[in-house]
Amino acid sequence: MTFNYYIEFFNSVVPWVFARSLLMAFATTLACLVLGYPMAYYIAVKSGRRKETLMLLVIIPFWVSFLLRTYALMTILDVNGIINVTLSSLGVITKPLGLMYNPQAVLLGMVYNYLPFMILPLYASMEKLDKSLLEASGSLGAGPIRSFLHVTLPLTRSGIGAGSILVFVPAVGEFIIPQLLGGTESFMIGNLIWTLFLKARNLWFGSAVSIILIALVILMVGLYMKYITKGEEMTI
Amino acid sequence: MRKIGDKILAGYSGLMYVFLYAPILIMVVFSFNDSRLLAVWRGLSVRWYESLFADPAVWRAFYNSIWVASLTAGVSMVLGTMTAFVLVRYNFRGKTLLDSAMYFPVVVPEITEALSLLLFYVFTGIPLGGLTVAIGHIAFAISYALIVIRARLVGFDRSVEEAAKSLGANELRSFFHVTLPIILPGVIAGGLLAFTVSYDDFIKTAFTAGPGFQTLPLRIYAMASRGGVSPQLNALATITLLVSLALAFVRLRLSKA
Repeated sequence: MTFNYYIEFFNSVVPWVFARSLLMAFATTLACLVLGYPMAYYIAVKSGRRKETLMLLVIIPFWVSFLLRTYALMTILDVNGIINVTLSSLGVITKPLGLMYNPQAVLLGMVYNYLPFMILPLYASMEKLDKSLLEASGSLGAGPIRSFLHVTLPLTRSGIGAGSILVFVPAVGEFIIPQLLGGTESFMIGNLIWTLFLKARNLWFGSAVSIILIALVILMVGLYMKYITKGEEMTI
Repeated sequence: MRKIGDKILAGYSGLMYVFLYAPILIMVVFSFNDSRLLAVWRGLSVRWYESLFADPAVWRAFYNSIWVASLTAGVSMVLGTMTAFVLVRYNFRGKTLLDSAMYFPVVVPEITEALSLLLFYVFTGIPLGGLTVAIGHIAFAISYALIVIRARLVGFDRSVEEAAKSLGANELRSFFHVTLPIILPGVIAGGLLAFTVSYDDFIKTAFTAGPGFQTLPLRIYAMASRGGVSPQLNALATITLLVSLALAFVRLRLSKA
């Protein structure tokens, strides 16, 4: 039994990779929440077939694997992709823009892939929302912003909690998106574990890194449930 | 005021739908482009599909994907049904543990699953190849199949089973002639989900395939990370996409059956 691999962990650049992954996962979760909330609301207040169709359109991207969706983004962002070719044929740019291999591209790819994971639970919690409560707060003189902050937001907390966890947990360990869209500045834990196992064949250090990853994810989810969702039952 | 707010919300949601679909549609459209350059449109053509079909490595990857996914689906259907039966019908020591353990693969980060599989194969000395990929897929796909089959079994009306038994059918006979036909849509949907999980899988496959074995996702990844975007890769991605979507639509149909 040895703790050398854990000591090695703290003496290397690896903590920075962890910090970066957590930051990226956090930014992804926040962006998905801000972008997805209005959309979930838009769908939830519709009725009948229209609602079903709009929801199906959110679910269909779920059925396409991350690899394919990330490649689809590459066809847009690549030096030979749609944006660069279009702009240069219009004479707007003379040399291709470097849209890929940077942290912004990774964030875009993450939001693109994970957005449906956020919208689904948000929608589920809004569906259950009793609309008469909003009317009540309106008739008692609350404006739309006040109603939103004091009625809608607290009542959809369970959806926010579930969506955030569904996005955050896989996002921390994400591999494909940073590997295809990112560069050295966006090297994440997933890429590190991949490199340690498949390139360096350092199984022991790789295992230590992944154990720390799991511990960290459990810790973050625990903290989140304690302070943000306050132990409320989550709807997925 | 309210009207304007609604319009803004509708416009915004419309843009988000465009964001979700535009990349995939562009990928599909440009796979039919008669040009070596990905994004310069030169007219409709199926030449990239032809060159794809002429490539034996693509066929091998396709064949590998299909047999691994079929084996995964078959085994997951049988084991998933058995596990669902045990969990729904019986009480025993350790049931709660088994129950929560079955959900583990759905919530653990994929890369952790992948390396635990690789460690297992390294320790047991099993040589990496198609079979290790299939075993790894089965180990995790059972959980997905179980969730679907279980949902069907929970809503099952047991009085028909009792009727069969009171008419003289034994346990086995009543299972195959009464229970199974009724839960069959759920079993097939579970199998299809297991098939999809396996067919789409990249990380677990990459860790457990070894150097000589390639599935469609591995081939797509290798082409995308080495050569970047190309119309030929668009064509391969489009075919893979169509299979995934077709499977999902059948699943949707079955869940409403």
